[in-house]
Amino acid sequence: MGWAAFFGIWAFVSAVILDEFTLPGPLKVWNEILEIVRGGSWADDFLISISKTFMGFMIALIVGVPVGYMMGRAGYWKAFFHDGVVGAGSIPGIVYAIIALVIFGIGFQGPILAVGLISMPFIALNVAEGLEGVDRDLLSMSTAFGRSDRQALRHILIPSIMPFAFAGVRLSFAIAWKVEALTEVFGSSNGVGFQIRFAFQGFSIAGVLAWTLMFIALLLLIERGLAIVERWLFRWRTWEQAA
Amino acid sequence: MAIPLAYLGAGRMSAATMSRQPGFANSSIGRALRSSWGARVTSYFAFVVAWQIVGASFFRVPTPWETLDFIWREVSGGDHGGVRPGQFWEHFSATVPRFAIGISVAFVIGVVVGLLIGSFSFVRALLSDVLLVFLALPAIIWAFLTVMWFGLGWEAPVYTVILSAAPFVAVNVAQGVRAVSPELRRMSDAFGVPRNRRIRSMLLPAITGYLFTGLRFAVIIGWNAVLLAEWFGAVDGVGWRARLWYDAARYKGFVGWAIIFIVFIFLLDGLVLSPLQRRAFRWRASPSSDLKAEVGAVDTESFTNTAIGL
Amino acid sequence: MATLQIEKLTKTFPPHSKDGRPVRAIQDISFAMSGQVFVSLVGPSGCGKSTLLNIVSGVDSPSTGTVTVTQDGKKARLGYVFQDSRLLPWRTVMQNMLYVSDLPEEEGRANASKYLEMVGLGHAHDMYPGQLSGGMQQRVGIARAFSVSPDLLLMDEPFSHLDAITARSLREELQVMWNATKKTVLFVTHDVMEAVQLSNRIITLAHGGTVFDDTTIELPFPRKASDPEFAAQQAEILGRFETMELERTAAKG
Repeated sequence: MGWAAFFGIWAFVSAVILDEFTLPGPLKVWNEILEIVRGGSWADDFLISISKTFMGFMIALIVGVPVGYMMGRAGYWKAFFHDGVVGAGSIPGIVYAIIALVIFGIGFQGPILAVGLISMPFIALNVAEGLEGVDRDLLSMSTAFGRSDRQALRHILIPSIMPFAFAGVRLSFAIAWKVEALTEVFGSSNGVGFQIRFAFQGFSIAGVLAWTLMFIALLLLIERGLAIVERWLFRWRTWEQAA
Repeated sequence: MAIPLAYLGAGRMSAATMSRQPGFANSSIGRALRSSWGARVTSYFAFVVAWQIVGASFFRVPTPWETLDFIWREVSGGDHGGVRPGQFWEHFSATVPRFAIGISVAFVIGVVVGLLIGSFSFVRALLSDVLLVFLALPAIIWAFLTVMWFGLGWEAPVYTVILSAAPFVAVNVAQGVRAVSPELRRMSDAFGVPRNRRIRSMLLPAITGYLFTGLRFAVIIGWNAVLLAEWFGAVDGVGWRARLWYDAARYKGFVGWAIIFIVFIFLLDGLVLSPLQRRAFRWRASPSSDLKAEVGAVDTESFTNTAIGL
Repeated sequence: MATLQIEKLTKTFPPHSKDGRPVRAIQDISFAMSGQVFVSLVGPSGCGKSTLLNIVSGVDSPSTGTVTVTQDGKKARLGYVFQDSRLLPWRTVMQNMLYVSDLPEEEGRANASKYLEMVGLGHAHDMYPGQLSGGMQQRVGIARAFSVSPDLLLMDEPFSHLDAITARSLREELQVMWNATKKTVLFVTHDVMEAVQLSNRIITLAHGGTVFDDTTIELPFPRKASDPEFAAQQAEILGRFETMELERTAAKG
């Protein structure tokens, strides 16, 4: 019902209050979307953007997990990384876009770096929190039964941290996806962000809206997908809470 | 690490651990370096060193010294070796009013919409998807749209701020209203508490915290938004000035203005808004760890919050 | 069957607050046990019995004194049953059993199955702990401890978190299993009646971690509530326990 309201209000505003040029109505934008899809290259652009986002996440994980681990393990590292990580997490995405631009100019590395920088704090903080939340009773059980540190790491620490790390990825995905597109807007020659800027420069309001809606639709889809994966991966949690 | 896993330090450094180390590490300098204060200072130092290295290796990237030098010249009105002299106040004072007006309007609209959505389930059913889309629309899109609608000038930045920030205020206020638990409401009903006392003592204190959260988000996003809009569609202001240096490939100018931009928002958020928010929320025993609360990271369950992007 | 020897054991914890005094959890305790015995450590909360168990199992270390746990001269294998089952919630029951086992896969599974059958959970191999009731989780805990064929079995108030009915049936099961396997068991509890029902030796600890009493109980197993000798023995031990409490209250006041 909410969606009906959304499209209804949109159509109303564009047809009655403003005009079709200023705010193209849903139908016009839908046609624009069809045009883009027929054009054929849209999949490439989205694929390019998604893969840059994905690579950026890889970097965020490679850096974030060890940092989070160190922060969770020892007070020294927690103090050392604290300002950096918390500061990095509070910086708006646009600043990372800027940094990526300055270092790499136009090119594919920029968006990757920007995504890496903005997701890393989320992952590090979540891993650190996961580590602090490890059930110490389980660790002492492990010691009582003579299990080695490596076994405890594999069977207790890592499974304890995983839900948190995954949540970090899921949370930061929306932000990362947007930062990626933003960085592309400023300085790429391909990808979704580039297309949006192209439409802007061509003064095509319908075009900007069309690409934006596709972008948002993909965002929501992936979000839902990640939520489903998370629920399946951690099904033991619902049972634990219920018990 | 030497600490066995069964005794995970959990981030606490005991005096016992510290004094057990041999030699230099146990001298007073060593101890100071290994304290948590020492760790923080070391990390800043490491950051500056890293920046210097990156700046020296990539020619595009300015070094810390170059950047500081630029900022000084820009702020003091000195000249940049041939290019136009520093005009810090001129541009800064163009941007701040746009930002302030935009935030104020966004706040008012957001509170009204949020109150409506939170209080009436009919409104919530109608508008929640609309709100979701507005939350998900990145500020850059609003920047583009407003520039296309209003052309170059002050309108685009102001409207971009309003459109980007209002949804966040609304969603937080709505959450705040819904957080007033039904039990409390029923209690007020049962005691026949008059309406304005209800609003004053029950509703307002409960949502004040959420108002602040919404305000903080609005400020961060709004400041962001004003920069974006000015980059693409203004003839003065912080965003425009930053773009000037970027287009001229004078990156120390670009980075310098970016730093001015960041410092402003850090000061505003850290000195003014965060402390106010902590005071407003002090009645609530928050279960989440303080690290995440500082970042403003949100719990994993709320879907609306995952649409937040900056 | 193992030999446990404790000599002049003390354990002190650093003070809770800056100007507090160190907490002396255990004070100069010595005793020994070996062979097919079921020894209970009884005492009020705060008397150091869980701390003692932690030290014996190696999770904690003594401040002074020695603890030796041997089996034929070598280091003994330990099994531990906790108050809360301490099962890994993200692993199935079978995987939990395998976690503590050093046997190769096939053997380990067969071994684990055997003990799960013994506690009546042969059907629950692939369930997650979250799907089991508290009593069932505790049974898995017990099966797990038995399955490593420990020389010394340590049990820390394993039934105190269960309701009375489940606790009673688990006590009987434990008795059956102990009779069948005749292990050396050190059993900690605050429930004197439980101790009298299950053990052939009761060591009572007083507040502050000293040994107050050390009694052997000669009654045959299984012990039934209806048996008058059993009731008498219970009354006697309980009486001594009450005396200790009275002495303590008198000393405080």
